[in-house]
Amino acid sequence: MNLSMNVKKSFGAFNLSADISVSGERVGIFGASGSGKSTLVSMLAGFLKPDNGEIVLDGECLFSSSKRISIRPEQRRIAMVFQQHSLFSHLNVKHNLLYGFKRCRSEHRRIDFDTLIQVLNLEEQLDREVANLSGGEKQRVALGRAILANPRLLLMDEPLSALDDSLRFQIIPYLRSVSEQFGIPYLFISHSLIEMRLMTDSALVFEKGVMVEQVSSEQLARNRMGQSQVGYINLLRLGRPLPSAGLFAYPWGAGQLLLSAGSERDASLAELSSKDIILFKQHPEAISARNLLQCSVRSLFNSGRKVGVELDCAGNSLIAEVVQDAVDELSITPGSTIFAAVKASAFRMLPG
Amino acid sequence: MLLSDTDIQSIWLTIKLAVIVTLILLVVGTPIAWWLARSKSRLKGVFGAVVAMPLVLPPSVLGFYLLLAMGPNGPVGHLTRVLGIGALPFTFWGLVLASVFYSLPFMVQPLQSAFESIGDRPLEVAATLGASPLDAFFTVALPLARPGFLTASILTFAHTVGEFGVVLMIGGNIPGVSRVASVQIYDHVEALEYAQAHRMAAVMLVFSFLVLLALYAWRPGALKMTRRD
Repeated sequence: MNLSMNVKKSFGAFNLSADISVSGERVGIFGASGSGKSTLVSMLAGFLKPDNGEIVLDGECLFSSSKRISIRPEQRRIAMVFQQHSLFSHLNVKHNLLYGFKRCRSEHRRIDFDTLIQVLNLEEQLDREVANLSGGEKQRVALGRAILANPRLLLMDEPLSALDDSLRFQIIPYLRSVSEQFGIPYLFISHSLIEMRLMTDSALVFEKGVMVEQVSSEQLARNRMGQSQVGYINLLRLGRPLPSAGLFAYPWGAGQLLLSAGSERDASLAELSSKDIILFKQHPEAISARNLLQCSVRSLFNSGRKVGVELDCAGNSLIAEVVQDAVDELSITPGSTIFAAVKASAFRMLPG
Repeated sequence: MLLSDTDIQSIWLTIKLAVIVTLILLVVGTPIAWWLARSKSRLKGVFGAVVAMPLVLPPSVLGFYLLLAMGPNGPVGHLTRVLGIGALPFTFWGLVLASVFYSLPFMVQPLQSAFESIGDRPLEVAATLGASPLDAFFTVALPLARPGFLTASILTFAHTVGEFGVVLMIGGNIPGVSRVASVQIYDHVEALEYAQAHRMAAVMLVFSFLVLLALYAWRPGALKMTRRD
């Protein structure tokens, strides 16, 4: 996807001014409520006309105030997944899925219906009424319906925010795998840093109607660490656990972590806040935390009034958050050795 | 026999009138309701008020102006004369035209509510899936507004069946042409034929009850929604 948007739009006191040029397959638009994300997406989809400017997608001009071009939404081939699933309640699952597929020109049809429903695990649901589906199933149907329209770009406008945590992390693998498997680039809109990191490679950051940053999603999370109440969320891919003295021993790369929660799955995703890691200059004599990791410091970065310490723990990356005084006292410099302590209860298993 | 031939004739005429008016209003009222539900025009309020006028106007007032409009010197009368149709007052089709105006809000307002309740989102979704506005209207908006269509049709039909003032002003009291059930009851009362008036009135009463019963059974909030408008 190659997208350039140079548009302006005003609603009363709110002014959106976006001048963006982005390429990539997994791009995020990040910002708080009222930052202009949804307005931007509505203009890209064609629901809203910019007051002036130009929108060009993959070389095709979708809107230009100077050239008086405004391609209708149904002709843009930009599908959308909304915060609310927005399924057609008068159609069953199968007919919802086929709505866009039937309207797609044959030369654009490249996604096979049977393959898609298999990927989305919807084989058993095809004849069901949408009112009888769970929240997660509805969002999977909405995703499948959008993909089957064979769009050249998929817009996902906070598709996870209406779901609880459990469903949210069940849906994310579907969102990612569908896009990757069928080669459809997407713009993912969210105000969640963790969703940004899981779903996108780069992010456009909006504040009060203006794009203020264009960074990698990883960099975005690091930049926001100091301001965030939850800090930087380390995402840890863990193997199948074994019981160990009332805890669960999870393989983590070449190392091992002890967690208080167990899972039957072969692979799990756990999150750990940068605030929950305590650093020691030397091996402590005794400590209650069940995880004491010997690490080397890869790098340091500033984020607000905090300093992020990127650690290499037996080949795994971990980011801890400290204040500058701690950096000085512990003489933390890139390449130095340090010990990181984490309580077994500090980890949070992510569903899905 | 419970009902006389003229009673049955008036009932048949009433049903015929109500069916035709309902069908015409389904065709005419749907685009009006759609426009009122979707438009952001400043004229929307004016059109909405015009459509709702029959709700508050005395039937005799509406009937009087319609009579003037359809009369030889009125714009409608002039048009029908030019088209070779002739004068509409005191004809069945004149009655149909008057009833269309009189029952317009009973069709438009429930449909407008139904369209408004759909919101923009399903139509936006349809557009992103490649549906043109017309396609989205027929494949998304109409099916989603189906309960509104049922409510509007039943209310329009029932309201037309119960017309009296406008019928007298436009149609008069011509057997087989404009003497509908409500006028027939009036005639029976005028002639002190209370037994026949009772029987006709009972038929109307049962009919009205069954219509409302059907409506409430189908959608308990249907009438409430209409009144709210």
